[in-house]
Order: sequence, then C-alpha cells, then structure tokens
Amino acid sequence: MAMETDMESAEGKKPNYYFIWLVLAVLTAVEVALAYFSGMPRAVLIIVLVGLAVWKATLVAMYYMHLKFERLRLIVLATAPLPLAVILILVVLLEYA
Amino acid sequence: MNEATILSGGVRAEPGMRVYNQKLGMWVFLASEVMFFTSLIGAYIILRFGTDAWALPGIPLEEGGTPLAINLTAFNTFMLICSSVTMVKAFAAIQQGDQKNLRLFLSLTVLLGASFVGIQIVEYMALVREGFLPHCGEHLAALVPNCHLFGSTFYTMTGFHGAHVSIGVLCMIWVTVKAFRGGYTKEDHGGVEVIGLYWHFVDRWGWRWG
Amino acid sequence: MATTEAAAQPRSQDHHGEMSFIRKYIFSTDHKVIGIQFLFTCLFFLAVGGLLAMMVRWQLGFPGQPMPGGGIMPDTMAPGGIVLPEFYNALVTMHATFMIFFAVMPLLVGVYANFLIPLKIGAPDMAFPRLNMMSFWIFVLSGVVMLVSLFVEGGAAAAGWTAYAPLSAVPDYTGVSTGQQLWIISIILFGASSLLGSVNYITTVVNMRAPGMTLFRMPLSIWSLFITAILALLAVPVLAGAVIMLLFDQTIGTTFFLPENGGRPLLWQHLFWFFGHPEVYILILPAMGIVSDILANGSRKPIFGYRSMVYALIAIAFLGWIVWGHHMFQSGMNPLLGASFMVSTMAIAIPSAIKVFNWLGTIWRGNLQFHTPMLNAIAFVALFTIGGLSGIFMASNTVDIFIHDTYFIVAHIHYVLFGGSLFGIFAAIYFWYPKMFGRMMNETWGKVHFALTFTFYNLVFFPMHILGMGGHMRRIYDPNEYEFLQRFQGMNKFISISAFLLFAVQVPFLINFFWSLFKGKKAPDNPWRDNGLEWTVPSPAPHGNFETAPTVYRGPYEFSSPDVEEDFLPQNVPLNGGGGRKVTGDR
Repeated sequence: MAMETDMESAEGKKPNYYFIWLVLAVLTAVEVALAYFSGMPRAVLIIVLVGLAVWKATLVAMYYMHLKFERLRLIVLATAPLPLAVILILVVLLEYA
Repeated sequence: MNEATILSGGVRAEPGMRVYNQKLGMWVFLASEVMFFTSLIGAYIILRFGTDAWALPGIPLEEGGTPLAINLTAFNTFMLICSSVTMVKAFAAIQQGDQKNLRLFLSLTVLLGASFVGIQIVEYMALVREGFLPHCGEHLAALVPNCHLFGSTFYTMTGFHGAHVSIGVLCMIWVTVKAFRGGYTKEDHGGVEVIGLYWHFVDRWGWRWG
Repeated sequence: MATTEAAAQPRSQDHHGEMSFIRKYIFSTDHKVIGIQFLFTCLFFLAVGGLLAMMVRWQLGFPGQPMPGGGIMPDTMAPGGIVLPEFYNALVTMHATFMIFFAVMPLLVGVYANFLIPLKIGAPDMAFPRLNMMSFWIFVLSGVVMLVSLFVEGGAAAAGWTAYAPLSAVPDYTGVSTGQQLWIISIILFGASSLLGSVNYITTVVNMRAPGMTLFRMPLSIWSLFITAILALLAVPVLAGAVIMLLFDQTIGTTFFLPENGGRPLLWQHLFWFFGHPEVYILILPAMGIVSDILANGSRKPIFGYRSMVYALIAIAFLGWIVWGHHMFQSGMNPLLGASFMVSTMAIAIPSAIKVFNWLGTIWRGNLQFHTPMLNAIAFVALFTIGGLSGIFMASNTVDIFIHDTYFIVAHIHYVLFGGSLFGIFAAIYFWYPKMFGRMMNETWGKVHFALTFTFYNLVFFPMHILGMGGHMRRIYDPNEYEFLQRFQGMNKFISISAFLLFAVQVPFLINFFWSLFKGKKAPDNPWRDNGLEWTVPSPAPHGNFETAPTVYRGPYEFSSPDVEEDFLPQNVPLNGGGGRKVTGDR
C-alpha cells in the first residue's frame, strides 16, 4: 500500500526521463571534450571532471532512482555513507598536503 | 510487495520507512556498496595525488601516455546512460500496467548492458595485447611513469564496475524473463523497481577517469 | 492482542514441527534457529581462539620448552612441542583473527542480533529469512577456509590480524603465501556474510516493529544492535576493498601497498583502520546494550537516562568514524592529522563516560538481584571502565610514543574485548538461554564459573599493564632474548599459569551449557521477570514467535512501577485507567 501512495504522490510531477537522459549525454560529451581539448592545468581539470561526475550522479539518484520523491528518512539513509566517504578520502589526502 | 505494514501471518508492523522491505533492503545494500567503491576510488585518488608523474591520456603509451581509447570509453559510458533511461522507462511503463513497453524497455536494457560488458571485454583484450597489464612488464615500466599504479587502479576499478554490471545484467535477464511471463502487474512490480535501483547505482559509477 | 494470558495458551500455528529435520535445523530460515546455529559455531571458534592463545602463553611463559602434550603437533609448527618462531607469528595472528571475526563479533551480532531483534520488536521473523540463512552458511564457509589455512603449506597468515602491508603483501617477508591468501579469501567471505546480516537487521528494525514499538520504546540491546549493524554495513566493505587490493598485490603483482613502484604502505593502514576502528565499536556496542537490559532487570529499576544512553550510543558510533588515526600515531603520518585524531579520540570518552555513569545510576539503590547474568553484567561495567581508562592513555599522542606496541596495548584490548565484550556475552548466554532452549542453566555452577573467570581474568590481564610500562613489546617470540625483559620472566610465567587456569575454568561453563540442554530445570515463560516482548511467548520461543502481533504500550524498563503490584510491567500489557493490574510472571 505504502508504495502505491508513494507513486501517486510522485505521479503529478513525474520527471521527463528523456530530458534527463539528454542532460546526462551532454554532460558526458562535455567531459570528453574537456579531457581532449581544454588547456586547463591537470589538477583543475580533474576537479572539474569530478564535479561533472557528481552532477550526473546526483541527477540519476534524484530522478531515475526517484530519491527526490522519497521520504526524508530514506534520503538520509541513502546519503548517509557519503560524508564518511568524503572524510576518508580527504583525511588521507592530507597525508600528501 | 505492498506489504510495508502487513507482514506474513497478517501481522501489522510499525510502519517505519513506509517502503516495502525489498526496496529498503536494496537501499541499505547500496549504502554499503558506496563504501566498497570508496575504498577503491579512494585508493586511486590517493595514489594519483601521491605521485608527480601519472600517465596522460591522448598520448601514445611509449611517450608516457595511456593506451586507453577515450572515444570507446565515452561511447560505453553513453550506452550505460541509455540503459538507465530504458530502465526507468520500463519502470514507468509497469506503473501504468503497460506490459508491452515493460518488456520492450527491459529487453533494451539487457541488450545495452550486455553490450557494455562485451565492449569492455574487447577493450581489455586490446589493452592486454598492447602489453598494458595490471602490473606492467619491465619494458613498459621503463617508459611509462607509474605504469604499475595506473594499470593496477585502472583494472581494479573498471574490473569491479564491470563485475557489478555483469551481475546486474544477469539479474535483469531474470527480471525480463519474469516480465515476459507476466510476472509483474500494475499493483505488484517491486522486482522491477528494486533491480532498477541497483542498475542506476551501477550506472552512476560508469564514469571513468582520465 | 497477545496478553500474557494469551501467551500461556497452547500454540496452534506451530508449522515448524512438520518440516523435515534438515529444513528445521540445518538450512533453517527461522531467525531463532539461525541464532542458535551461530551460537554453537562461535563457541567452537572461541575455543579454537582460546587454544591458540594458550600456545602463545606457553611460549611466553616457558620459552623454548616443549609444550605438555605438544608432541602431537606437526614438525612444521612445533617439532617436539617446541613452538617455532614462524608458527608463533601465525599463532598471534590467528588468535586475534578467530577471536575478533569468528568469535566475539558473530557471538554478539550473529547470535544476539538474530535471536533478539524479531523477538524484542514483536516481529514474526527477519525481513529476509533466506538471506539470513545464506549469511550463516557463508560465515561457516569463511570459518572453514580460515581453519584450513592453519594446515596449508607454509602455515597460516603470520602478518598480524592487521595484515600490515608490505609485510603481508610480499610472501617472502613472512614466508607465508597460501595461508595469507586464504586469510584474505576468508575475510572477503566473512564480509559478504556480515553484509547480508546487516542489511537484514537494519531492514527488520526499521520496518518490522510491532504496533506501538516506537524507536524510543526499543530496548537498548536492540538500539545497540541496530547501530552496530549500520557500522558493520559501512565499515566492512572498506576492509573488503582493501583486502582485495592486498590479494592483487600478493598474487598478480600489482603494487598498491608496495613502495618500490609508487604504492603506499600507509594507504593500507588508513583503509584498514577506517574499517578497524568502527569494528572496535562493533565488538563492544552490542555488549553495552545487552548489559543495559540486564542491569535494569537485575536492579529492578528503570534504566537511568534511557535517552542519553541512546544518544551516547549514536555519538560513539559517529565518533568512531573519525578516530582511526590513533592506531597510526607511530606510523609517520602527518603530525597535523595526529593531533586532530587525538582530540576526536579523547572526545569519545564523553559518551562512554555517560554510559558508565548511567549504569551506575541504574544500580544505585536498586533492589539488586545477583543472578549469574547480573554478576557478569556488573563485571562488564567494572572491566570496561578499566579498559576505557587505559584507552585514554593511548589516545594521547605523546604518551602513545612510550606505550605503543607494548603489552599495555594488549592489556587494554583484552580489558575491553574480553572483560567487556566476553563478559557481556556470558551475561547474554545465561540470560537468554531459557528463551533459546526452554531450560535454565544451573545457577550455582554459573556463579562458580563467573567467580573463577573473573579472578583469573584479572590475574592474566592486569599484570600486562605493568609489563607494557616496562617496555615489553607485543608479538615477540622470546622475551628472554632481550636483557631488559629478563626481569619480567617471573611475571610472564605467572600470567601464563593464570591464563591456563582461565582456560580451564571455562570447562564448568561448557558442561553447564551442554548438561542444561538436556537436564536443566524447565524454564518458565518469564524466569527473570523481565518486560521485554520475548518473555511473553513460551520458552523456547515457538516458530513464528507471536501468535498474534503484540501491541506495545511502553518502554522496556518499567521495573518497580507504582501502578502494578508486581515489580515489573511488560511492554505489551495495557493499564486500565491506572487501576493496578495484576501481572503474573512465573507460570
């Protein structure tokens, strides 16, 4: 039952899946173009690429995985490991700062 | 599947998340997958920033570049994005009770996913022929800066991603077969949603590193 | 509504009896049977780990002398009963591995999360019973792989349970290759089993609570097991990723952790301890929860500061993620990191102290019932406090320079892991034995076992603090080789003899355990006069747990409530307009 009400609440504002697909494709094209043609310094390039990748992942999670239409507690559960992941990587990176 | 509150034996439970067990279980599982990939990607980032020289894309292997064909990689990523949209369309179809589109889009997803795995295998074989291995022969080690680490991280990350996609494809085939047998209805299609969550998650990691 | 009266009526829905033996006891999907399977398996591994420790202690107490009865040992391990140095390294490694991964962690999580969660929250079973069964059998497989690794050529893994690279990554360094690889494979399997378990526990606690069982009416044991499951869910995959890279370093020639080709040995330590420190809390938090339940029961008082107990658990669990660097103060990591890890580690003392004070507040002026579970629970509080205090010494960056890698560390870990977790486990075994098997364990022998264990335990581990302050390194084969350690030989002998006695006094426990299975006194439904939902069903708990779903009206710690004649008030009993309602315990 719960699931049906979930979906009904999402029904009204069902995202345009094809539009999101287009955005994802464009972002990927931008990534490739940057990797090939931009004269950016390496470090900046990597940060930009990571940023684009995070953007894409967020789009997928919000719309394709319907996280935007879920209850707050499920969103909390789904994003709970992200701070830990960031902590691990940042702290260990400090080793080389 | 619509049993978030009614458990087997007619037991009513405190509603909790208000999602059914399988879906909640999948989200919990994905949380742990994030940590698994964090250890691999974290190792990559740390090794990458810990050294000055790193193989560069777009330059031939012998001149200190990577042998990776970015075009092929990008195409493969694009296929995964396509498979994501077909997956979500399949889910949207069964929400409306549209069996025909469910089957069509699920089959497309299987096809795209399987092609991804296929292309990755071809790519691996080409790389191995070029002598690009997880551990680098001596001749390459002399030429390519940090060839060891680059090969190790490349194969580990893409290999585990590929393994996840392969498992996804296998599960997807199972779901598709069930769909062709009419196993999902407008009211009862938890399996499609749960496999979809896994599939989108795996796609999220479809981006590669330069 | 399952009132206590309803629970006394004969069960009609006991389908379990119709199943074949194999479905019922071997490949069972019933959470209680799986819990009991875990219990027997883990007690076996506990014995294995103990036996390995005895050999370690023999070598330290009586270096170079043949072990009594050691003639049966193969020449690759201990020719003529004299422990070889290589075998000694394997002993130390495998003792820790068995105790941590195959005894204490599954004894708490595998046994009691499985057994207690559905019973205590009023659910008929786990959310995913078949995954639960898989979790157990993968665990068995992983344990078998680990056991086999003891007997392969080259011996078992010998790089310590922390498997520091490059020592563990290059077979030549320890002389062990197959053993180390089997160790890694076993850990990967263990991770899979733990993952399945965690997904199950979290989903069950979130989704399957009985009506009225709000989060803040859950017993602290369930809270702690729930939080532990989250820790295991997020920590164990990091270990899995790390050991997979280690396996590649070992077998296919990658160099993730090898400095020669740009790899980073410190990367292993970071990944390992990012898992390892939450793991430490995985090992202690469930024991804290279980002890909280038992202390309230044994004091006949509500738990002191229920909410602060929950928040302290959450705080410990969160802080546990940002303190892992305190294991690496001496590794040469960035000093800035060292200082911040020191601060965050010290901060953990605050929620831990909240818990200790709340336990003391719970037993303060209580109507104390010194039954065996209660004795073990009190021992837990005392010994955990000692272990916690010695932990603060190590948390200090500067003090740690002096005591790092000495027996002080060994004393600390055993005070929290044996004095803490294992006494908690003993308390839990005595406490829930009647609900598991329908019979009581013998109380007198339980007390004898407790008194002897408590005495010898302290005789073994307290002197280790002194050894450590004296500079006695851990993991050394023969302390007599160092002149400055020769004066400790007497103390080492004393510790060893106490350790053998500690091992020996577990025999009464085992006899009590197995004898009571068949000959113990028949247990009433609610022998400890407790409030939890599990005590409203018959002993042993039937298949499907509850005849009808219980409805929960209050938290689990309503002892000595003025509203009722009895000194306890079960969670599922409604109070009719405050008019005292007689509740009977023993039927």
